[in-house]
This record gives sequence, C-alpha cells and structure tokens, in this order.
Amino acid sequence: MSVKKLGLRQRYEHMTRGLDWETSYQPMDKVFPYDQFEGIKIKDWSAWEDPFRLTMDSYWKFQAEKERKLYAVLDSFAQNNGQTNISDARYINAVKLFLTGISPEEYQAHRGFAFAGRHLRGAGTRVAAQMQSIDELRHLQTQVHTISHYNKFFDGLGEFPHMHDRVWYLSVPKSFFDDARSAGPFEFMIAIGFAFEYLLTNLLFVPFMSGAAYNGDMSTVTFGFSAQSDESRHMTLGIEVIKFLLEQHPDNLPIVQKWVDKWFWRGHRLLGLVAMMMDYMLPKKVMSWKEAWDIYFVEAGGSLFQDLGRYGLKMPKYADIATEEAEHISHQNWAVFYQYTHAAAFHTWMPDAEHLDWLSAKYPNTFDKYYRPRWEMWAKMEKEGKRFYNGALPQLCQCCQIPMAYTEPGDPTTICFRSSKYKDDTYHFCSDGCKDIFDAEPEKFSQAWLPVHQIFQGNCGGPTVPDVLNWYHLNNGVDNMDYVGSPDEKIWNEWHAENTRKAV
Amino acid sequence: MTYQLVIEPLGECIEVAEDQTILDACLRQGVYLPYACGHGLCGTCKISVLDGEIDHADASNFALMDFERSEGKTLACTARLKSDVTIEADIEEEPDQRRIQIRDFTATVERVENLTHDVKSLRLRLDEQTIDFQAGQYINLTLPGVEGTRAFSIANPPQESDYVDLQIRLLPGGKGTSYIHQTLKAGDKITLSGPYGRCFVRKSRGGPLLFLAGGTGVSSPRAMILDLLAEGYAEPISLIHGVRTRADLYGEAEFTALTKVHPNFRYIPALSSEPETSDWSGERGFVHDVSERLYDGLFEGLTAYLCGPPPMIEACVNTLMRGRLFEKHILTERFLTANDAKKTAKSPLFKTL
Repeated sequence: MSVKKLGLRQRYEHMTRGLDWETSYQPMDKVFPYDQFEGIKIKDWSAWEDPFRLTMDSYWKFQAEKERKLYAVLDSFAQNNGQTNISDARYINAVKLFLTGISPEEYQAHRGFAFAGRHLRGAGTRVAAQMQSIDELRHLQTQVHTISHYNKFFDGLGEFPHMHDRVWYLSVPKSFFDDARSAGPFEFMIAIGFAFEYLLTNLLFVPFMSGAAYNGDMSTVTFGFSAQSDESRHMTLGIEVIKFLLEQHPDNLPIVQKWVDKWFWRGHRLLGLVAMMMDYMLPKKVMSWKEAWDIYFVEAGGSLFQDLGRYGLKMPKYADIATEEAEHISHQNWAVFYQYTHAAAFHTWMPDAEHLDWLSAKYPNTFDKYYRPRWEMWAKMEKEGKRFYNGALPQLCQCCQIPMAYTEPGDPTTICFRSSKYKDDTYHFCSDGCKDIFDAEPEKFSQAWLPVHQIFQGNCGGPTVPDVLNWYHLNNGVDNMDYVGSPDEKIWNEWHAENTRKAV
Repeated sequence: MTYQLVIEPLGECIEVAEDQTILDACLRQGVYLPYACGHGLCGTCKISVLDGEIDHADASNFALMDFERSEGKTLACTARLKSDVTIEADIEEEPDQRRIQIRDFTATVERVENLTHDVKSLRLRLDEQTIDFQAGQYINLTLPGVEGTRAFSIANPPQESDYVDLQIRLLPGGKGTSYIHQTLKAGDKITLSGPYGRCFVRKSRGGPLLFLAGGTGVSSPRAMILDLLAEGYAEPISLIHGVRTRADLYGEAEFTALTKVHPNFRYIPALSSEPETSDWSGERGFVHDVSERLYDGLFEGLTAYLCGPPPMIEACVNTLMRGRLFEKHILTERFLTANDAKKTAKSPLFKTL
C-alpha cells in the first residue's frame, strides 16, 4: 500500500498532538490553576498557530551541533588568548555589565518559560514555551563559560550570582524579571515573550553583538550568532502570543494593552543600561543609542504597531517620552555610574577628547548643551586630584529601582520626581511611566526590595560603604573605581608592553 | 537566465531568476514561506531541497548546520538556484487548492465591449484548447509592444473553459490598458499564461461568504459566485460591489437576476461619489463602510474575499479585523512588484494581509 508522504507541518502535528488531553481524575481547572485569574479569555486553544514546527528530537540534534561549534570557538578563543586582542580593556566593562546583569536573567527567563509551559493549556503553546525554556538555560550556560574565561584575567565577574541578589544596579534587571515571574502566565508571555524578546530584543542584542564584533570579542560574537537562531524562534513566539490573545476575545484587548504599556516602559528603563554601554563603554563605537532607538524602535516598532492597530492595540503609552529620552538616557546613566563608581563592580572613566566629539556629533540637540560641560568639569576635577564621588546614597524609583536621576519631559535641567500614597506610605518614582505601573499594582510594588532602603534598614552588612561592599562580595579597590589605576588596566598594559617588546 | 522551482507540498511551479533568492521568488508569487531575518542568520525559512542544485550563499553556520546541509536543507532567504529545483517547504496545505499546471495559451479576441465609459470587457477564445482553473485565479497577458506581462483576473467561471473573460479599466497613462482600450480589436491574436494565484474559494470550510469588490475587482468574485451557485452552494453569499458613481456601475442586471434565482445570494452595489441629488436609492459610501453597516460591525463566522485596489483592501481589512474577522478568514490576492515590496516597511505580524 502506498501512503502519501506527510508534509512538514503534518509531521509536526503528529509529533505533538495529544499533549492537551482532557484530564479525568482531576478537573482541568485544578490542573491549570493560573490561566484564568488574569482575566484573559481563550475560546479555542487549538487556534494557536505554532510559529516554528520544531520537534523535540530535532531540537536536541540541532542544538547539540550548535553547542559543539560554539564551544569550539570559545575554546580556541581561550587557547589563543583572545582577550589580549580586544580593542581595549575598557571594553570588558561592557561585558561585565552585560554578563552580570543579563546572564542571571536568562536563568529567570528559563524558569518563567518553564512555568508558562506548565500552566498554559494549549499544546502548541506549551511545546513552544518548553523549548524556549531550554534555550534560555543554554544561553545562561554559554554566558557562564564566557564569564569563566574573562574572570581569569579581569575583575568584577567572579561573584556574579551572589551580586545579582544584592548590588544596587543589578536589582534593576532583577526586579524586572522578578516582576514578570511573579505575574500570571499570560502576562509573563507578553512581558518577556512579546515586549522583551520581540519589541525590544533588537535593541539589546544587535548593539551588543556588533559592539563585540567591533571590539574584537569573538567569543561573544559567536555566542550571538549561535543565539540568534534561537532568538528568531523567540521573536515569532512573541508575535504569535499577542496575535492569539487579541484574536481570542475582545475582552483581552484592554488587558493586553495595559501589559504592553507596562512592559514597554519597564523595558525602556532597563535598556537604559544598554544605552550607556553603547555610548560610553565601547572603545570602538558601533552606532549611538539614539540611532539604534530610531531604527529598532521608532521605525520597526512603528510599523509593528501600525499593523497591531488593526486589532485596536495602540502604541505603548509614553512611547513619545521614551523617544525624547533617547537623547538623554545614556548620558544621565553614565553620570550616575561615574558618581557611584566606588559602589559598582566595573570601572568608569570620563570620555577622552575624541569620544566627546563623537558624542557631540551624535547628539547635536543635547550633548553640548547639557552634558559636555559637566564631563569637562569632572575631567578637570580629576586632573586637580579632586575626582568627584557622590557620598550620599541615592533615592531609588520604587518601580524601576534606578536612582532618581532622570529629568522632566521637555526640561532636561530639572530632575523628575513623582510620588503616590499607598496605605499611609509615600512611594517615589522617576517618571509618569513608573508611577502608572505602581498605581495599577500598588500591593505588588510596595513590597519591592530596594537596595538603598535595605542599607538604611541595616540589612546590608553595616552602615559604611566598605561594610556594604563587603556584603556585596565586591573587592574594594579592585572591582570598583576608575579604569585608570585599576588592576584591569595594569594587566592590559603589561600584555601590550610584552607585545611591543616582542615586535621590537 | 531563469530556472523552474517546484514548491511542494503545493505542487506550484514558478520561475526564478539566477540571482534571485528562493524566498524572494516565492513571496512575489504569493507563496508565503515563514521567514524572519531575511539574511541567513535565524533559520526560520529552512526548507528541504528534494531535487536539483542550489547555492546556500550567506547562510550562517549556526542557522544552517553542516548535518542539515548534508541532509539537503537550505535557507530560502539566501539560497539561489543552480538548476531546476524542487523544494519542500513548511506551507499549510490548502485542501481546496487543485494542482493545475501553468500553461501558455494562444487566443483570439472574440469581442471587446464597453461595460462603462472606462471599463471594457474582453473575451479571448482559446485556440483549440480549454483552460483548467479555479474561480478567483488570474492569467498573465502578453501584449504587443508592452514590456512584461499584465495580470488580470478571470471573470468567467471554470465551467466555461474555452474562453477567458476579462474586465479591464483604462488606467490613465497605463501602457497595457491603453493598448487594450485603444488598439486591441476583435480578431487579434494574443498570448497568455495561467492560471495563477491563491485567492480561490475555500469551499471545504463551508459557512457564509462575503465578497468585497472595488471597481473591476468584481471580476473574480463574479467567477467565484457563478461557480458556487452552479455547484449549489447553499450557505449565504453576499457581494458588495463598490464603484464611484452610477456611471461606473456594471453587472447590476446579471447579479440582480441571480438573486431572484438563488435566495441565498445577496447583491449590494454601493456608490461612493454619487451626487446627493441623484435618484440612486441603493447604498452609498465606501465598501468597508457599507459592510460595517450591513453587518453591524461584526463579521465573526464569515469568510471574506477581497478584490480591488490596495487602499480599498486596506480599509476593508481594518474594518473586518475590528469586527473580529482575522487573517485566516480574509483572503485576497496581492499583486506585488519589486517596488511595492520595498515601499512600505512591513512588520512580520501578518502573512498575507
């Protein structure tokens, strides 16, 4: 008997069907207790269009070869002392920030997708979430391998899991993912699947990977290529999630809109760290944050929201404010880290003359007027032996947990303060966006673990800076402070002196 | 130099230029393949090469692994043909699609008639042949002295297979339509190829149907409706045909007559620019506005077929989606040229709309 060969799609259906059977000795609602309280209504789970028809058996095979290739490159990078061929050791500080800030979040994403895969009823959704969960775990592993290599030569990376739960600026990405992970499974899918992995991923990924390429960090570049074939699956999953929710029931629209507004703003705040990395921490520049924002959010996001408009979904609230801030955010963030360099596990510096001119050219509307004079003053103070450190602990935004250093929309010389009252306490915010998020869920955000509050409450090892750094496991005088004079700079200079000697 | 590309499981055969990617060729022919990055990095557009030779070009080593290359996989967004090729792609099979080979035909112009002041009806009788097609498909016409081909929907149902009827509006400055309106006459010989297109009726889905047509876009709904009625399709069928004024309306007598014979067929002509003072008592407004009124803004449960100029299609898609009818149930043919594709930045949200 001749049997018609199955198409790719049908083959996939055969490999995945039946995973969504009706339970018989427990009611379905008890088996899936979390997929209704958020108010999302699903009429027909089978209408889920699986965006990538990858079965588990081929997933293993595929990823195994990918990992072999990636580790071969990482090994050869290590064997050939690739770290000596990067553009400048300052570059490593961008890597430190990325790896200590984002790698633990890969793990959080892994757990979040495992949760979504368990608690959403649709078979297609569960398979997709399961694969993404494993992807995220693999990404963490490969990033930890990168950490372990750079950790042999450079400071500030060794205690990354410990620091993740304690250090003030690492609480920014941590709180972002804690928020998503403590939400329901649908909000998690919109927060991480759509907003983070689709809408904002190019802003995180492209600048970082091209930054690595420009600065000779081939291990990170290879990781980028390896991850990109996963990322594309993650992006299509994000797109499918939002379409599916919007098509399933009209009541879902306002809920999804609220989540898109919230996670866009939270993502924008988080990406401010990437903005600073691009504009200040890459010795060889790729493009400015403003340029990246225009390409990946204003243009690409614009056409996405034009299409989403057919579902009635609007551009995220405060997208216009975020676009205005794209001309300020990297400078304002770098100013914070420069002032608090004694409390950060990476090094800072003032831009040199060439770098200042690049910034002036890239930010004609804002840099010369608002930031260049401050940088020049700080550089002058440095020369005079009066390097400026901010000795006071900053006030943090209750929502994004970033020090309150951002300025008023339309007025870059006034710091923006907002506040809300909840149960007799006053909570403070850096922006209307963050205030709105708090006001929608005050019970949740009033419980936020704010690093500065914790220090004042005596929960962080003691009252002095060295006490707190010790509690952070931050090696004072080694991990922190300016790049100039750091052990990182010393080892870099030694390598290069050696190269010069060899050349002679 | 071009090669033939057969796309399984559709069985569709298309022409691909030597330096053209498989993805580009497919999208231009209205065959949607899943894709994302468009330059060999992500692997979303992975396909199997069943037969023939290709060049992987810039496919990334991570997006297309060595073992996959040896298994005959490639990435549609970078692969170029080195011979005639058969691929298998991740395409939803349409149970209603028939595999009909595209052929070249010679035909004789049997008659050229005025339907309105600027629309002509053309009957091309095929020379000693018949054409097999699905209602809703189109042909490409080759016109003497006009570069390239021109696509026109077939206005007659497939039951009438020894000729094709076309309805063609004169586009000011349009070379092809000017030739047809001003030069072409009965007795002329002409060549055409077809049938093309994927905007055929998804009969197996059943359910009520809504046809939204603008101007000469009514030609393919005409073929589809005549075909459905001839086969005894019993579910409600509605046709809303929008034109500017009374003077632009044609086909009214035929459609009205059909409503008398087939109680499940409803015909609504709609005029968008008819003077307020005229004695027109039918619907006024654009097709999307009229449909919104008639359906109370709720289109769930229907399958809609959209034929007409791009702004009309866009407006109708928006109205239908607001009324909770989504991509899967909205069918339309996009006639894209290389320039159109570049003109508007599209997000990957929709596949065919």
